[in-house]
Amino acid sequence: MSDLAIPTLQSEAQRERSAIGSLRLVQTACILVIALVIVSPLFMLLIASLKDDRFQILADMGSFRAFWVSNPTLSNFAEVSNLSGELAFGRYLLNSLFILGCTVGAGLIVNSMAGFVLAWGTLRGRAVVLSLVIALYVIPQESIIMPLVIMMSRAGMTDTFAVQIVPWIASPLYIFLFYQFFAQLPKELFEAAEMDGASVFRIYRSIFLPLSLPALATVSILMGIESWNQYLWPTLVTQTDHARPIAVAIATFFGQDSIYWDRAMAASVLMMIPILALYLAFQRWFVSSFVGSAVKG
Amino acid sequence: MTLQQPALPATAVATRPARRRDRARLYQEIGMLMPAVALLTIFLVVPFLLSFWTAMTNQPLVPRPTPVRFIGLTNFLRVFKDDLFWTSLWNVSRFTFWILPVQCGLAFASALLLHQKLPLRNFFRGLFFLPAITSMVVVCVIWGTLFQYPTGPFNQVIGFLSGGRIQPIDWLGDPDWAMFSIVLLSAWQAYGFQMIVYLAGLQGIPDELYDAARIDGANAFQRFWHVTMPGLRPTHVFVLVITTIQAFKLYTQVAILTQGGPRSSTETVVHYMVRAGFEEQKLGYASAVSVILFLIVLVIALVQRQLLRRFDV
Repeated sequence: MSDLAIPTLQSEAQRERSAIGSLRLVQTACILVIALVIVSPLFMLLIASLKDDRFQILADMGSFRAFWVSNPTLSNFAEVSNLSGELAFGRYLLNSLFILGCTVGAGLIVNSMAGFVLAWGTLRGRAVVLSLVIALYVIPQESIIMPLVIMMSRAGMTDTFAVQIVPWIASPLYIFLFYQFFAQLPKELFEAAEMDGASVFRIYRSIFLPLSLPALATVSILMGIESWNQYLWPTLVTQTDHARPIAVAIATFFGQDSIYWDRAMAASVLMMIPILALYLAFQRWFVSSFVGSAVKG
Repeated sequence: MTLQQPALPATAVATRPARRRDRARLYQEIGMLMPAVALLTIFLVVPFLLSFWTAMTNQPLVPRPTPVRFIGLTNFLRVFKDDLFWTSLWNVSRFTFWILPVQCGLAFASALLLHQKLPLRNFFRGLFFLPAITSMVVVCVIWGTLFQYPTGPFNQVIGFLSGGRIQPIDWLGDPDWAMFSIVLLSAWQAYGFQMIVYLAGLQGIPDELYDAARIDGANAFQRFWHVTMPGLRPTHVFVLVITTIQAFKLYTQVAILTQGGPRSSTETVVHYMVRAGFEEQKLGYASAVSVILFLIVLVIALVQRQLLRRFDV
């Protein structure tokens, strides 16, 4: 009886509100399911890296023990974070960090300067340079890699840090992102500083660069992820452990007959930490400026 | 990036410029532009042009005493005659066919959900992006264990859910499954980027349009179909094109997990190219493959331009 009475008692607004409420519930449930799919493999990685018994790791997978470790140990991390020895991932980690730092640092300077001149310079042919830069964006890294390896080996640069840094500093995409960011700033900024007699470089360094934190953050994250995750290029240009990055070192696990999953897991977790820190540090700016510049519908 | 050019900002025109200052400014501008131009020329333009030249020679990887000969389009003809090349092209097409709905669909759905005013949505945005910052090598370590045959987690779960009726699947070792397995892990890894792009597209749709639709009595589905979808047209084009281009460059996952196997079922264009160049040491031949890869990417990019123009954006 009362069941039948409810609809008539409910006002239109109430009914809509409860419909929205149940929609919210469904939406939240969907998000939690996606979150589970996204996170559980990463969580399993973390848990597995804390297990000591490398035979047990695979046996634990597929049961709830994949998400639980009864006696966590950092011994895998201690083992792989060495700076010398057979599984000296500490060394590769430092290599990768050095490569990332140099690439991103130089990339921010070089690409932002170019973007600035393209946006505010008076150079004749600026528009042509801009269109060329945009056109170059179409060339995939994969299709220039053959001749580039030859060039680098002729120049005697293989197996160095430089060969992993210098070719990837300048990038059409990042020049364009900086150009786009600078171009949208008000021209009064430039005019006022110019009136005061500031040079172009001065205006760039003291006024525009400090204002471009969102762009700098976005490019740092994108360049950082790109540099950190490079795989094809370093496998082709590094022959020894001297300058080899951690991605290549971890990949060598797969060549072995019996994979040391415990160490592979620990090394993988180590590899995630720096890039995660970079991402968390810049995330706030990253999302907002990526949203601003990625797709101008 | 859609690479639409914002109008060049009008640069201040100095009315009474001192000549010398003009020149100093010019030098400074050149000096600021030079590093990028020089680096792009040496490491992008030159190798790009070289790849066309190398493709038409019999250049080996290791220099030989015999001089390198110009052999015209012979390499291209050889590539086209190689069944393995066509297999690799077919495989990346299959990969694209699967990754587009799986990855873009998941990204679109997540973006729609996270565009709602739900609690903790910024937290989830960050969370969903986590795999995208994870190195593909690490992703391979994780998914390599998930795919273990016959006792890996996936097989355990499937066996449990089906009460043991479904036999364990050799995810990476079965030619019928290997490429699909690569699709799954690739979609998981890269979908965060697409999701952020979709979120950007959703934020670009003005709220007034939704309000107007609501006043006209449009229900939620009608608002989605007549406001959201048209507003996202350029975003859809962008996401689909970027995903397709990425798909045609598929390499790392395959190189680490399957090496193109089993029975060439995961051989890809880039993997084929790298093998030809560095294992078989035929650099000219590999360069021909790289030129073909570039042409494929170029065609996809041109199609994108045409589509965007048609949508008048």
